[in-house]
This record gives sequence, C-alpha cells and structure tokens, in this order.
Amino acid sequence: MNSRIIYPNDEGGVSILIPAPECGLTIEEIAAKDVPAGKQYKIVDAADIPTDRTFRNAWEYTE
Amino acid sequence: MPSSIINSDDGVISGTSGLKSSGGDDGVLVFQSKGTECGEFDASGNFQFNSGYGSVATAYGCRAWVNFNGTGVVAIRASGNVSSITDNGTGNYTVNFTTAMPDANYSMVLTSGGTSTSLAARIDNPASLTTTSAGPILCVNTSFSVLDQLFVMVAIFR
Repeated sequence: MNSRIIYPNDEGGVSILIPAPECGLTIEEIAAKDVPAGKQYKIVDAADIPTDRTFRNAWEYTE
Repeated sequence: MPSSIINSDDGVISGTSGLKSSGGDDGVLVFQSKGTECGEFDASGNFQFNSGYGSVATAYGCRAWVNFNGTGVVAIRASGNVSSITDNGTGNYTVNFTTAMPDANYSMVLTSGGTSTSLAARIDNPASLTTTSAGPILCVNTSFSVLDQLFVMVAIFR
C-alpha cells in the first residue's frame, strides 16, 4: 500500500498514518477507523511525504 | 497406528490415545499424546498447553505486533493485527489495532534501535493515551530526548 493518510494533530502539527500492508483493509477503511473522529484528512501518495525529518515537528497540515 | 484414534458417540469425540472431548457435560476439548494430556480448550475457551512448561496451563497469546522503520520513509516491515501506525512527530508513534483489545489493561513490550544514540522505546503517557484501539510509543536517546529509530518493534499481550 503506497498511500498515506495525513491529518492535523492537536499539537498544531501533522500526523501521518502508515497503513499495514497485511491488514486486509482498504485505505478508506483505515482512514475511517484510525483517523480521530472529527478530524479532516487527506489520502496522499507516500512519495509526497518528505524524507528529511530533521524538522519533523515543524511540519504543518495545509488544505 | 491404533485402529481407532478418534471415535464419535452421541456427539462426543473421544479416543484412547489421541484427541478427546468431554463434550456435552463440561465442554472441554482435550488433546492427548500417547494417552497423556498435552493441551486443551477449557469451558471458557482458554487454550492451554504444556509444551515443556511442566503442566497444562493457559497460553496468553500475542494479540498484536509490528516491526517498523521510524526514519526517512516511515514504513511497516511486517505486522499482525495492526491496521496502521501513526507518525505523530519525531520519535512519536501510535500503533493502531485492526481488532481492538477488550480493555486498555494490556501489556506492551517495546524495543527499538538502529541509531547510535538510541536508548529505548517507551509507552507515551500510558494513563491517558493508551486505549483499546491504539498504543502510544515514544523513542528516546541517551539524553532522554525523542528521536526517530530505524527499528521499532512492539508486541501486545492480553
């Protein structure tokens, strides 16, 4: 599964859901289950997530 | 091989040497080897086995596990009963269960490594963040500051 789910977290940053390949759920089912209730989220390609995590805690969610 | 290892009589399966079920009365399913009990499912559905323990006792299974890379492109290497992990920030992850635990009183066993200053993985704020559906993790270095870890391994027992 080469997708990621991103949503704004309560600390003002962004949380990134990484699906488990063997779980048998679709990305939409994982989003419905694992994104906190009431949070907006986006499904993005894994390649769109930066790999340099030096300033990871400064990442922000944008529409 | 005995001529009759498993017999069925009025819905009760029994055997003089192999599988035996006391069926209708107590609902216990007993596994035998050479006439000696080596495991059973008790009436509550608990699986019990010997397997070198010395007696037949309840086995407490690992209910979920995951091995993931917490650096660079964060990714799950392999897992069981885990639907996803959440990358919340540097060294801060959450393990999300496919099938929820019956309560939040499970035991999380954590380890991590792969970076030169890595020290440990620990449960993040267990009193408030541990839920039936997710377990929180923080990875820390030798100065107890959070950091990403190349190998993060988690097992949940309940």
